Amino acid sequence: MRNVVLGAVSALVMAAGAAVAQDYPTREIQGIIQWGAGGSTDTVMRSVTPHAEDALGGTVVMQNMTGAVGAIALNYVADADADGYTLLMGAENPMLYKVMGLGDRDYGDFIPINILARGTPILVTRPDAPFSDYAGMMAYIAENPGEVRFGSTGPGGLPSVVTAMMQTVEGELDVTFVPYDGDGPALTALQGGAIDVMPAVLGASIEGIRAGAMVPLAIFDTEASPFLPDTPIAPELNEGYATYLPWGPFFGVFVANGTPEEAVTALTEAYAAAVENQDFLDLMENRGFTVMNISGDEAQDFLSSWQSTTAWLLQDAGLAVNDPEGLGIPRPGE
Amino acid sequence: MQTPEDHDAHEGTSDATPGGLPGERRPGEAVFAAILAVASIVLLWNAYGIAGFSALSSPGAIPMATTAVMAVTAVIVLVKTLRLPRTADETVSRDILPPVVIVMALMLVAYGILLRPLGFIPTSALFLVAAIKILSNRSWGFTLAVSLGSLVLIWLIFRIVFTVLMPAGIVPEAEFVQMLRDIVQGGSE
Amino acid sequence: MDAFMSFLTVFTQPELLLLVGLGTFAGVYVGAIPGLSVTMAVSILISFTFSWDVYPAISLMIGIYMGGVYGGSRTAILLNIPGAPSAIATAMDGYPMAKRGEAGEAIGTTTVMSFFGGFIGIIVLALAAPLVSDFALRFQPRDYMLLAVLGILLVGSLSTGSLVKGIFAGAFGIALGAVGMDPLTFTPRFTFDLQILRPGISFIAVMIGMFGVSEALLQLHHVNAPAIRQQINRIVPSWGTVRKHLPLSLQTSTIGVIIGALPGTGGDIAALMAYDHAKRVTKNPEREFGDGAIEGLVAPETANNAAVGGAFIPMMTLGIPGDAVTAIMIGALFIHGLNPGPMLMIDRPDMFWFITGALVMANVFMLIFGLTGIKLFTKIVEMPRAVLIPLIMLLSIVGAYAVNNSITDVYWMLGFGVFGYFMRLYGFPLGPVILGVILSRLLDDNWRRAIISEREDLSRFFHGIFTSPLSLVLFLAVVFIFVSQTPIGGWLKRAIFGRAKP
Repeated sequence: MRNVVLGAVSALVMAAGAAVAQDYPTREIQGIIQWGAGGSTDTVMRSVTPHAEDALGGTVVMQNMTGAVGAIALNYVADADADGYTLLMGAENPMLYKVMGLGDRDYGDFIPINILARGTPILVTRPDAPFSDYAGMMAYIAENPGEVRFGSTGPGGLPSVVTAMMQTVEGELDVTFVPYDGDGPALTALQGGAIDVMPAVLGASIEGIRAGAMVPLAIFDTEASPFLPDTPIAPELNEGYATYLPWGPFFGVFVANGTPEEAVTALTEAYAAAVENQDFLDLMENRGFTVMNISGDEAQDFLSSWQSTTAWLLQDAGLAVNDPEGLGIPRPGE
Repeated sequence: MQTPEDHDAHEGTSDATPGGLPGERRPGEAVFAAILAVASIVLLWNAYGIAGFSALSSPGAIPMATTAVMAVTAVIVLVKTLRLPRTADETVSRDILPPVVIVMALMLVAYGILLRPLGFIPTSALFLVAAIKILSNRSWGFTLAVSLGSLVLIWLIFRIVFTVLMPAGIVPEAEFVQMLRDIVQGGSE
Repeated sequence: MDAFMSFLTVFTQPELLLLVGLGTFAGVYVGAIPGLSVTMAVSILISFTFSWDVYPAISLMIGIYMGGVYGGSRTAILLNIPGAPSAIATAMDGYPMAKRGEAGEAIGTTTVMSFFGGFIGIIVLALAAPLVSDFALRFQPRDYMLLAVLGILLVGSLSTGSLVKGIFAGAFGIALGAVGMDPLTFTPRFTFDLQILRPGISFIAVMIGMFGVSEALLQLHHVNAPAIRQQINRIVPSWGTVRKHLPLSLQTSTIGVIIGALPGTGGDIAALMAYDHAKRVTKNPEREFGDGAIEGLVAPETANNAAVGGAFIPMMTLGIPGDAVTAIMIGALFIHGLNPGPMLMIDRPDMFWFITGALVMANVFMLIFGLTGIKLFTKIVEMPRAVLIPLIMLLSIVGAYAVNNSITDVYWMLGFGVFGYFMRLYGFPLGPVILGVILSRLLDDNWRRAIISEREDLSRFFHGIFTSPLSLVLFLAVVFIFVSQTPIGGWLKRAIFGRAKP
């Protein structure tokens, strides 16, 4: 009994002491996840944040706030007080809001705390498709215009960017695009034969490939994947791809512009340490993500170069709603 | 003399026993049917505006089909309703919108307006105390005990267990919760 | 043999047993409160169980899942407010029973039948998972579309009053589901250029408003009426009752497993389809449907719990979630270092058998917790309405907010509460509205996928239907139900046979 009382008293003293010694965080922090429960952004954020909490000595309460391709969450965090107590946990989509006419804010209104990791796009087909490699697919598409069904996930999604890349490099593809809500449902449809080819993230398809339920055609990266050493990388198939790669969807933690320096530093250090945690590194590797762990200027540069590559790819493929030129997004290499 | 049971029969307490009077028109029913019909036609026009008749697979195809069904059925309902004789033994203020319903509806609107600036806890406390007092007419002690007791319970479940961040408003909720957490964690070490 | 040992893991480790029990108990309450969903609970558990081992973490989640699916029936029966979408059908016959003071019997039957359905789901999962998942994968967009059409035809059996009003309500629901930015093309639909409409209208907010707030407003009409005393001496249904409904519950459980196993459809659609099925096959119910027919409880409750086992089938065999909850569990498995996918069954068969074992245990706990503590629950309805009504309203508000942390959802919820109130007063059924919202995306998205895949060619589309056995069966079912339910059916009969039977 005495121990309990002592514990409680010392806890109170410690809590009071902690409040004096440190000014951030003094209360719990809200983490707003842009995507729904069970999605890859959700999984990544929920697995990295507990490590960051340890480093930070505070609590981050995570909430899923979905809708409008993540714009609801982005606006919520942007409109909240910039005091470091509201974090945005998001994916790459906001960098395309302006181009796709989905909103007039993007990560430019935020300070990147950490860009955690990047995914690798891969092109997969089903085992009973009439082709089994990239060249075979291109030939089949040329011979059977409109026959091949590509899965897509709406304008601005990864499949639309990858197909924009393919159309830029290989010329117009005469295929039918069948829209799905995300790469999960589309890969399911691929296994059921409802579509023939799907550009997806490596992590989402790796288990299907291992089981022989999907066949990899090409990896859109500059280096071969340790998971699939035999699958050709896109620049080997057509040099034109080298201009745009490496490219991939990413996950990051952000705070609104104007957040006090102290909070930004504390959060940056906490998340940098969290990403280095072995459990998290293993998880990322298993899911086929490339860990980046960058922050500050490096992260800003990454974001702007990602935006310019992607925006112009979409513009050149005729998918952009607003001209990147008019939005002040420079053409890559300019 | 109507017993409460009789009342239920045409009040729509369940889909299986829908409201409305067979063969008669309730007060306000024609107005409601007319509003639905007009709204359906507006929606149909709006659905046509999504993509017109551009393609079978256009995003406007299903909305147009459904709003067309809405418009047709709403007009049928309106015509049928207008043909019915108006019931003699019901009035708007007794059977459709009794004062107590209007008062509670207004309190809900007030709740919605106050929720963000005032915060969840004060708004809910005001709402519960006022509503229970008005409806039950019991002593203040009873009213306060029941409403504040259940509010604490709801707050604990939603805020602490399910970490739902209701608007904090004027209450320094986050600091308080962090303090609770520190105590719990410190104590368990 | 090793695999079988994993099946027994949960029974032999008291810690796991306790966690499953705890989860199931919590699940019953989570499910009962509108706005608290199993999906929410399980995603919070991901962070909570982060540092645990995989077995305890999964045990807790499975308990919550099983208990939560069942718990939705509680408030549906007692308050006419379904705690979860999958309990909408349960309210239709459960609430009339509670109004007669037979809540105890209704809850007892519901519990035993949920247990039965849950069990069938688990058996199918254990014995035929690969078979069922192969079958589920075969569903093409056009099949999903036909399934949605089949679902929409349920409007006929959900609207007991005026069919025209029911059809209006169903179409209204489908239109509601389309509001906002179309997720496939980003085209704004029914947004009237308003920012607030762009994200669409939360379906849970609509449901809570229409069933919760409108019910509370209606009850205000006789706020001073005495509460109904509930007799709770007859809780466990007699063996005779169970045996009598055995054939029906087998059929509805089958519906539950299959709908549950299909990615993209879950317990909510399964329960409504099962209710419709029961209404169709039950020739002489003791009480009319809608007036407290036992069959009206048996069907949806067996189906939605059978759908739990069903949802695990594609998850365990293919790594494809059968519903939102299994989607989060796949994430949880990832976090705990497993790789859910088609290889999981081969790499880690122990995981499959462990989950099956935990499901069995959760199902047993559900039966135990379901049959005990009913007294406490029925006290809720015996509370004075002057206290109950404000509490229902507050819970509806918090619940609507909790779904997506959005005040806008609270406004929608209140708006639909008032609208639902008038709909009820004037004889419009509410079930079809919710049915329409649930099915809206299934119908719309898959129609577009199907017709895009056939390159906008209707003749190719119908060719596809008539050459695939699965599509053909679904198509014939649609035609059959349509003809048998609408005046066209009678008209055709007269035209063909010359004279209608009386």
